[in-house]
Amino acid sequence: TELRLSHQWSNNDVRHKVAQIVADEVAAAGVDLDIKIFGSSSLFKAREQYKPLSRGQLDMTVLPLSYAGGQQPAYNLTLMPGLVKNHDHAARLSDSPFMEALEAKMAEDDVMVLVHGYLAGGFAGKDKCITKPEDVAGLQTRAAGKAFEQMLAGAGASIASMASSEVYNAMQTGVLDAVNTSSSSFVSYRIFEQVKCYTPAGDVALWFMYQPLLMNKSTFEGLTQEQQDALMAASEKAQAFYLDEAKKEDAASVEVFEKAGVEIANMSDADFKAWQDLARETSYAAFVADVPDGQELLDMALAVE
Amino acid sequence: MAGHSTAAAAHAGNNPFLKTVAALSTLAGWLSAAMIVVAVGITCQMIVIRFVLNGSTVWQTEAVIYLMVAATLIGLPYVQRLRGHVNVDLIPLSLAPRARKVLAVITLGLSIAIVAVMVYYGYDYWHFAWSRGWTSDTVWAVRLWIPYLAIPVGFGLLLLQLIADLVAVLTGVDKPFGLEDV
Amino acid sequence: MDPLVLGALVALATIAVLFSGVSVAIGLLIVSAGFLIVFDGMRSLELLPEIFFGKLDNFALLSIPMFIIMGASIASTRAGADLYEALERWLTRIPGGLVISNLGACALFAAMSGSSPATCAAIGKMGIPEMRKRGYPDGVAAGSIAAGGTLGILIPPSVTMIVYGIATETSIGRLFLAGVIPGFLLVALFMAWSLYSTWRSGDTTRLGSGSYTWRERFEILPRVVPFLLIILGVLYAMYGGIATPSETAAVGALLCLLIAVIIYKLWSPRALWDVLRDSTRESVMILFIIAAAGVFSYMLSSLFITQSIAEWIGTLDVNRWVLMGAVNVFLLVAGFFLPPVAVILMAAPILLPIITTAGFDPIWFAVVLTINMEIGLISPPVGLNLYVINGIAPDIKLKTILTGSLPFVGCMVLAIILLCLFPGLATWLPEAVMGEAF
Ligand code: NA
Ligand code: NA
Repeated sequence: TELRLSHQWSNNDVRHKVAQIVADEVAAAGVDLDIKIFGSSSLFKAREQYKPLSRGQLDMTVLPLSYAGGQQPAYNLTLMPGLVKNHDHAARLSDSPFMEALEAKMAEDDVMVLVHGYLAGGFAGKDKCITKPEDVAGLQTRAAGKAFEQMLAGAGASIASMASSEVYNAMQTGVLDAVNTSSSSFVSYRIFEQVKCYTPAGDVALWFMYQPLLMNKSTFEGLTQEQQDALMAASEKAQAFYLDEAKKEDAASVEVFEKAGVEIANMSDADFKAWQDLARETSYAAFVADVPDGQELLDMALAVE
Repeated sequence: MAGHSTAAAAHAGNNPFLKTVAALSTLAGWLSAAMIVVAVGITCQMIVIRFVLNGSTVWQTEAVIYLMVAATLIGLPYVQRLRGHVNVDLIPLSLAPRARKVLAVITLGLSIAIVAVMVYYGYDYWHFAWSRGWTSDTVWAVRLWIPYLAIPVGFGLLLLQLIADLVAVLTGVDKPFGLEDV
Repeated sequence: MDPLVLGALVALATIAVLFSGVSVAIGLLIVSAGFLIVFDGMRSLELLPEIFFGKLDNFALLSIPMFIIMGASIASTRAGADLYEALERWLTRIPGGLVISNLGACALFAAMSGSSPATCAAIGKMGIPEMRKRGYPDGVAAGSIAAGGTLGILIPPSVTMIVYGIATETSIGRLFLAGVIPGFLLVALFMAWSLYSTWRSGDTTRLGSGSYTWRERFEILPRVVPFLLIILGVLYAMYGGIATPSETAAVGALLCLLIAVIIYKLWSPRALWDVLRDSTRESVMILFIIAAAGVFSYMLSSLFITQSIAEWIGTLDVNRWVLMGAVNVFLLVAGFFLPPVAVILMAAPILLPIITTAGFDPIWFAVVLTINMEIGLISPPVGLNLYVINGIAPDIKLKTILTGSLPFVGCMVLAIILLCLFPGLATWLPEAVMGEAF
């Protein structure tokens, strides 16, 4: 049996490696299961993977789940400021009633999770450091994610929307003053060449994005028991690797920025609290207003210690 | 060489069906041009908001994208009517009139088939987005059935125009491939 | 089936379908659907509208109609004639001055228009009849305009550079800058050839007949100022931190429309509609090909053809310049038959990994590819600029146009060779303005 896996990343990205581990392990298990990986958006564009996945036209994908927030508004909780504190907390979230509730939503779309994983990110400022809400007032900012846009707008930032590939030039020419994205994107788009200050994900971080390896549920159920077992075993192995690498990425991005002579700023607990209070009034409120069972889901997420 | 540069529209003669389709395609062309103009306006507005007023520009990018997609799709029948879709007419040019007509009927038939596929599954996709209440994953959260509507409508009108072109060739109202006899 | 064999089958089928006279975009859809049905099953058809829509779902594509509107609105005024007349009044003393001023006007106009046919039409409407009237051979008159018009996609802004930037995720700002010096180089080569061929024809008295007083020469300069302002304004918006390149296009379009209406009194709804109609026609044609080529490349990728070809070429142990030569021949042949955007979209996903693996710079390659596409624009059977010349001067035989443009094709080939010898011609300016590329 051949399964097709699509993702948007290059071959040396951790998310590709996660997919590769699953493919290799399954192949090694010798259960007549061959996973063909289509990386770098060579099959579907990043934001166009969930629809074919849910209709069984694509078998697997590694995807920031919030990309599908337009299909299942509950997914917006997987990119919500201040909901995840650090990587270990993220791992506990992945194994909680909150995630079970999300997986029930996925099942509605005939989608299931094979590998859970969160990646963190931070802020970079062209002329100054961004640690607390007051820092972004009046800055042209590009945020990764709807909930972050709402929070930053609440802090008085001006939101500019553009493709991530335009960010570098926009920073260089001064169209943008600040940007918020994942640690790995900061490095791969070489943002360190254009900014004065970087606020990475540290002991506390605001920006966490859930980026699981998903599979079409019916396709999975159509496999033999041995094939399913092999997939689950491979996924477990990949998940442990994913968590380790996710922790390393933040440190690696700091190293790159330091080497480029960029100032490194840290978010204090008080800063984090200020952002979270702001998020509560802006993005959380908007989420609860948008999603019928939003309050319940949010409480479940906040209940995870 | 075919008259690509002279905007020689397909002939409709006095056939009421051909004339109706031609009118529909022209209307679609106006709509398409209007959407392009609106997109220019919105983009300029976005630059002013951001650069002059340092304000947020949340919805403009998305609006412009959907306007451009719709302008393309809705513009298809009009450009077909103007014979603006480029083709390689080396072989048709070298054929005798009868063979050329046969080839024209075959290519138009194939075009009609593929465009019908696009209409059918385009409608299906539109309906899926509509019944599931899909929106875009942005703050603006556009209901996706609105931009997706351009797929069945644009290809539907193109289908009509292609059928009209086939009818025109079969009834001799228009020359195969729009080529004048050499 | 082996993906490479499948690839060869796809190539044959594509050639057969496109040569049947079906329009290029629909042809690509037909081939894609055919192969998907056979090798991926009927269900894959469900995906076609979704992929088609997805390929158009990109902000940068906005700049295509915008840069076309810039050209079309200016082309519908006397502006082209003004540009060309100004140059002519200053250059009449030189043998072949008229053809040189036409080429210069093409280059200037190219800096305002992203499309080649528009450039060709704008200058040619006035330039070709004038040259013929003054005794230039038909071939030189038509050939120089056909070739000069191709500069529209090399000198920024450029529709094909935008498409390349989108397909390869390369910075459009950098690509635009990369085209500047090669653009001037080509203009210089075109002019040098024109001078030489005029001088060789011997009859210089007839060719440099017009003579102008200094008063006449200065009088016309103010009429050129608006264009210089547009060009400078667009450049400033693009590189001065006001907008991204794709957004700048809208500013340019608005400026050009305003200048056409205010300075050139293009008031009548009829005339404005003509501008919009021509722009819509060209834009929709290009965008349809872009979306259809997107479906085509989905098919290639889904059947693992793209990946296999890239891998296969990677295993070939050939000299990188032999590889570059082969790539150029491929592009040239593809350019004979297909419009530039179709070639770029179908070839870029296959070629780019090969190019970068062999150590070539993707920005530099964009310029080489563009010049190849320029050759395709003035070669049969699908040469968009030939259609335009044919529309302007229907009585000039295709054969005459072709022989007239052949020496200019030679200039383009020479430019490609120069670029291979001195890659800095393309890479220096973007690096100087925007810093080291990555
Ligand atoms: Na240009
Ligand atoms: Na050609």
